[in-house]
Parts: sequence; structure tokens; C-alpha cells
Amino acid sequence: MEGKQGVKGTVTALSSLYPTEEAQKAAKRVQDTIAEKQQELERLHGFISDNTNLINLVQRLPDNLHHDIMVPFGKAAFFPGRLVHTNEFLVLLGEGYYAETTSKKAAEILKRRGKALETQVDSLNAMMQDLKAEASFFHTTAFEAAEGIVEIREDYEDETSVKSESEPGLLKQVSSSFSEADNKRVAVEDKEFARIMSRMDELEKEELEADGNDESDEDEPSKADMDSIAEKLSNQEIRNAERPESRKPLEQAKNKNVATEEIRNAQHHAHQDIADQLNCTGLTVQSIPKGGISNDYTLASDVKKPAEKTVMPPKAENKVRAFTSPQSEVPLETPKPNFDSKLAFTGSIVEHADNIETSSRKQTPSQSSGSQPSKPVSRFKMHRR
Amino acid sequence: MAPIQFPHMVFLYGIPDIAKNHQVRKKYTIQLGENELVLKELDLLKEDANVYKLIGPVLVKQDLAEANANVRKRIEYISAELKRLDAALQDLEEKQNSKKEAILKVQPRIQSLQAGKAKD
Repeated sequence: MEGKQGVKGTVTALSSLYPTEEAQKAAKRVQDTIAEKQQELERLHGFISDNTNLINLVQRLPDNLHHDIMVPFGKAAFFPGRLVHTNEFLVLLGEGYYAETTSKKAAEILKRRGKALETQVDSLNAMMQDLKAEASFFHTTAFEAAEGIVEIREDYEDETSVKSESEPGLLKQVSSSFSEADNKRVAVEDKEFARIMSRMDELEKEELEADGNDESDEDEPSKADMDSIAEKLSNQEIRNAERPESRKPLEQAKNKNVATEEIRNAQHHAHQDIADQLNCTGLTVQSIPKGGISNDYTLASDVKKPAEKTVMPPKAENKVRAFTSPQSEVPLETPKPNFDSKLAFTGSIVEHADNIETSSRKQTPSQSSGSQPSKPVSRFKMHRR
Repeated sequence: MAPIQFPHMVFLYGIPDIAKNHQVRKKYTIQLGENELVLKELDLLKEDANVYKLIGPVLVKQDLAEANANVRKRIEYISAELKRLDAALQDLEEKQNSKKEAILKVQPRIQSLQAGKAKD
């Protein structure tokens, strides 16, 4: 990861932290304990099964007045006999105490005993789990120590200081999932920083130039694109966002803007992480709604340059372009409603296609120049407003 | 001259005692648990139920109230024993610790002496 300048770190050999031999010994010890507990567990299971058998027997005995059985006599003899008083049981309560009860009561006593056994089994199981976790830990450390794996620690750089750098990284990352994007962003941010900054400068210039022609790329931006673009301009957009906001009232699609804003806000949550990264306010990072909901593609909206405002065609709304054309702006050109109630499909369409990439790229350099004939036209152009 | 085993052996002093203590404690704990179970069941019995106690090969009929009282006394006795054992265990551990420290202090001296001797 370049860009992490001056990161201090320590490298410690795992083997020094956890000496191999000792780790192995510890692992062995834990294994032994586990084996013991396993035996206990089996014993308890045996008890429980015996108990259930006994309960069944106790319940069946009173079915007959007397049973004919072979009575054990001494160590090695039986004689035929009769089991009478089939409902009277002497139950051992413990410590040499017996209670004379009926079969039902005896069964109840036995059931309670069974429950006690089960709680014992449960606690034993829990202990086993802990021991197993410990054992696996020891195993892995012993293994790693033997392999000579080292532990590397690096200081954690201040988040805020790198946020501004994150934007450049965003462009790159955007294509990947957002979560990945975050990680990547951090990773790449330094790398991208310079590039992004210059691009941003260019974009700004172009926006100013392309006032009024700012034709947001019609193409449905991919989420990533939007995000990246949005993020890129996040800083500036934040500032710009202010302006578009003020202009909103002027816009025809004022309400739309509001709607878009709201949507943006909603989306913002979805992409909170990105937003946070960018230090953007909720406005800026609206990046494409996951569900492609955005009427606002404008989400870029926050981002948009104020300069654009006037021109941003509604198309800008659709797209990431938004960043070039501020949301608020969009209404200007044609009040393309963000919400087209007539259309069943009210969301923005997210086209994930190559063109998106290109368009996004183009956008950055050309800022918002709306007319980009080279821009691939969205398949869903009809739906665009 | 063999490296000093002496400290370790002294250190081991007290360990057998502690182990014995643990064992006895375990036994008592189990008995205590059992007695508590018995008490619970006795409480659940009906008033006129017959209770017998096995004394050797003899099953002796007992009064429910009497049995209750006996079991309770036994529980108390066992708890007292456990407490005594706990105190004894503490004592033993303290002794062991002090011995450990003494050894630690003496050990370096012994080692230097040994080294000196070896040089000669």
C-alpha cells in the first residue's frame, strides 16, 4: 500500500511471543482435558439412558397385578418367582434414604433426576466448547510459531487526514462492492490522490466552461461510477451543494429536488460508509441507489458543481453526471421529473455497462459537458427524463 | 556438581498436601450436592409417606420429620467441613508461596557459589 508514508510498524516473530514447544505442550494439555471431559460426558449419557429405561419400566409395572419373573438368588442363581405389589416402589433418594411411593410418584422423582443430569451434561458441553476453542487456538499458534510466521503491526493513521485522499481512490474502487471499496479506498487513496486532485481541477474547469451544456451522461451510471464520481467531487460538491440548494427554489422541479434530496438522503444511508469516508455530508454521497431507485441519479446532485447548475439538464439527474450537474440544476433545463408518475418505472436505471465506465471517466475530465456524443446512450433513454 | 535440584524439591513441598486437600474437598462437595437433592425430594413427599434408611444391610423405617432433620444436620456438617478445608488450603498455599520466594532469593547465591566452585 503505497501512500502510507512513514508508517511505523513492528515485526515480531510469533515464535517469540508463543514459544513453539510451550504452545504444543499447552495444546496437548488442553487435549487431555478435553478427553477427560469427553469421558465424563459419555458417563452422563449412560446415566441418562438408564434413567429413561427405568422410568419406562416403572410405568409399565403397575399394568399387571403380579408379574412372573426369574428372581436372582445370590451371585449365580435364579429361581422363578412372582413380582407382587406392583404399585409400591422404594425409591432411593440418596445418602441411604429410601422413600416408599407409588409408581407415578417414583416416575416423577426419576424425571427430576433426569433433568438434573441434563443440566450437568449441558454445563459439561459448554466447558468442552471452551476447551475446544482453546485447543484450536493453541494448535494454530503452535503451528504458526513453528512456521516462523511473524506478527506485523502498523500504526493506525488518522482517518481524517486521509479522507481527502480517499476520493481519488474512490474512483478506482467504486466498481467493486462498497465494502470493498472502503478498504480499497483507504488502500489506494494515497495513490490516487494526486491523480484525482488534478482531475478534479480539470473537472471544475470544464464545468465552468460547460455551463449550460452540461449534459449529464445519459447512461445509467453504475453505482460504482456514481459513487466514485460523487466521492471525487465530494469536497467541492459539498460546497457546491450549498449553492444548488439555494437555487432550488428557482428550479421548476423544485419539488423534485426535494424528492431527490430525500432520496439521496435515503441512499446516503445505504452508502454511509462511502459518505463517511468522504467526509461528505449526507448530500454528497448519494451514489447510486442500490436498487437503482434513484430518481436521483442526481444524487450526484450534492456533488454537483454549482457552476453547472443552470445547465444541468435533467439528464444529469439520471446520472452520475449528477455530479457535474447539480441536482438542483437539473430541473432547469427541462423539468424532467425525477419522479415520473406516469411511468411505472420510477427509479433510475442503473446500467452496468462499459459505457458507464467510460462516461464516468469522461465526466471527470470533461466535467459536466453535457453533450458528449461519444457517450454511449443509455438503453433506457426513454425513461430518462 | 549437578545443578541445584534443591530449590525445586523444596518448591514441591506442599504440593501433595494441596492435592490431597483438593481431593477431599471434591468428595465433600459431591456429598453436599447429594444431600441437598435428598432434602428436596423429602420435601416433596407426602406427609404420611414411609421413609427408610439403609444402615448396613438393614432398612430401617424412619419418620419423615426425623429424616428431614437428619439430612439437614448432615448438610450443615458437610458445609462446615468444607469451610475448614478451605482455610487449610489457604494456609498451605501461603506456605508454598513463602517457600517459593525463599528459594528464589537463595538460588542466585547458590548458583554463583557453584560457579565459583567449578572454576577451582
